[in-house]
Amino acid sequence: MQEYDVVVIGAGFGGPVAAKKCAEAGFRTLMLERSAKVGEKVISGLTIPFYGFLFGPAFIRDGNPPIERPVDGIVNYIIKDIEAGDMEIDDSLRIPKPLSPILAFGYNAYCQPFCQWEAEKAVESGVELRTSTTVVELLREDGRVVGVRTDKGEEIRARLVIDGEGSQGLLAVGAGIREKYPPEVISLADVYDYEMAKEDVDEIFGYTLRFCWGWDEQKIAPPLGHGNGLMVWPYRESVHFCQDQCLAMDDGKVPNLRKLFEEYHRNLTSHLPWWKEEIEPRARLRARVFENFEIFVGLNERLRAMPNHADGIILIGDAAGLESTELCDGVPAAWFSADIAADVAIEALRAGDVSASFLSRYDERVRAHPIIQWSITAPHRYNLRFAQEHHSLEELRRYVHDGWGLGGFAFMSTALVRMILQAVREDPGIIASWLRMFPRYYYNWLHERYDYSGGKGEPPRDPSREPRAAQAVVRGGLRLMDAALALGAPLVRAAAGLLEPAARFANPAMKLLLPGIEALMRGWKKVEPAFVPLSDRIIRFVGRADPATFAAPERGGR
Amino acid sequence: MARTFEEFPGVEWVEGAGLFIRVIEERCDGCANCVKVCLADCYEISGKKARIRDLDKCMECASCWYVCPRDAIEFSWPPGGTGFRTDWG
Repeated sequence: MQEYDVVVIGAGFGGPVAAKKCAEAGFRTLMLERSAKVGEKVISGLTIPFYGFLFGPAFIRDGNPPIERPVDGIVNYIIKDIEAGDMEIDDSLRIPKPLSPILAFGYNAYCQPFCQWEAEKAVESGVELRTSTTVVELLREDGRVVGVRTDKGEEIRARLVIDGEGSQGLLAVGAGIREKYPPEVISLADVYDYEMAKEDVDEIFGYTLRFCWGWDEQKIAPPLGHGNGLMVWPYRESVHFCQDQCLAMDDGKVPNLRKLFEEYHRNLTSHLPWWKEEIEPRARLRARVFENFEIFVGLNERLRAMPNHADGIILIGDAAGLESTELCDGVPAAWFSADIAADVAIEALRAGDVSASFLSRYDERVRAHPIIQWSITAPHRYNLRFAQEHHSLEELRRYVHDGWGLGGFAFMSTALVRMILQAVREDPGIIASWLRMFPRYYYNWLHERYDYSGGKGEPPRDPSREPRAAQAVVRGGLRLMDAALALGAPLVRAAAGLLEPAARFANPAMKLLLPGIEALMRGWKKVEPAFVPLSDRIIRFVGRADPATFAAPERGGR
Repeated sequence: MARTFEEFPGVEWVEGAGLFIRVIEERCDGCANCVKVCLADCYEISGKKARIRDLDKCMECASCWYVCPRDAIEFSWPPGGTGFRTDWG
């Protein structure tokens, strides 16, 4: 029988993060993945929001993962009458030019290459990865988890198991650690992937997501509050299209999703003007996939309280029910929880105590994590059902604005400010890391510069076209900032510490300030065309610069 | 060996998955919830009981397992390296 310090189940988004950190701490770590190639069973329509990158694992923030397109905002279509073409737009959540698209709200990604990239980074750190291996059971001795049994009948012992199995959580349910979720909190996502020329995606979408919301009776989308209207994600040379609906309605009835998804897709794509006129003639269906996710677990107090650890085991990401209710994006929470799980695993292994009582510090830290808690309890998608119930356009507008428009900042600012202050207190140098990340990610996207086996390697560069003077200034400025942050670290830490108690006022303050900010943004829209040349210059600069300009200092440029 | 189906472009099913979902007939009351949520058409009702037609197009989402009110569906993951795969998820 083989023995490891840590066995990580699943090489999705969270597993490699936990495994890498444990291996780096010197623990013998094995990661088991049931698919033959990492990530090929992971499905999502995926924007990974900026906060995942800013506050998540350093190797991702400072690295070069494969992304499909930066995202600078959301256009929400509130469809009042599809046949009459009567709809209104809320595009208040947008990063204006000249900041967009270098500064991004997040990055779209295909799951397969991104998970593959993460797994390769874990392997480089010493993790042993075994693919084509399904874990069928947790091994237990006196109630304590002591390892796993694979589909080949092999028993692998571990001092600690980290379970990143995904939302279904069969192993934790099988071992009696958690219960199977009720169907009304699970959403089935029906995802279409359309190929489209990059120039067309650039022209039609730019960097902006499109979401549609409409009254139930139009039958163009799942009932409000029970899934997503329609989400369209622009990728590099494709468009991802997703609708999802909960497996049961409030009255417990299970909808005929086979019939309904076809109906929504047909009704919407045959009527929606921009789909018919702009997308349909240029897009070619490349894939249709579907998958479940635990959308409303966090909103249900009883389900949220289910154990996320037991003797010898910690659950991370979707396996711990950490799906975001509004953006439907579990990746940041998977990263955060995997990072915390690894910290706790390391502490537990060093202390020689993997009991549930020792591991309860994992639960405490997850529950104290501002962004995890905000993202799993944000109410607006759920509340859309009340707009339908009252057939109130005003309510519909408000929920959409507060969920996927600028109004969201009145609900997430406290969490965001807390995270910024915590991160800065821990390492003031992170500020320079944030500033480097955005241009580097844009450069990488532009040149497809992703450092993993599926990447194209370093793109050819023409040093004679490099903006040498400007890049020297930027590089010098960033290094100066590194030095200042290192030198002034005690001061920055103290300032962040002093500000922390005030973070709780960020949401109410934002609520007060939002009308002004929104007016400002509307005004900016009018003058924005004047900034297009500047925006183009910034894009040209980042695109032509030596990428070492934006490399994380410890990885060190050349 | 992998199979493809026109209905689900961009997806392949690697052989060897076997019957990783099972209906416990004694528990099934034929409510057809599993039939309604399965986008891969894996189920049918025959003799007032749910029956697995085949798992050829199953994408392992477990919707059937969630919606069964009588716990009549046993769901497990297929053996490693088998079942569906896609590059476009």
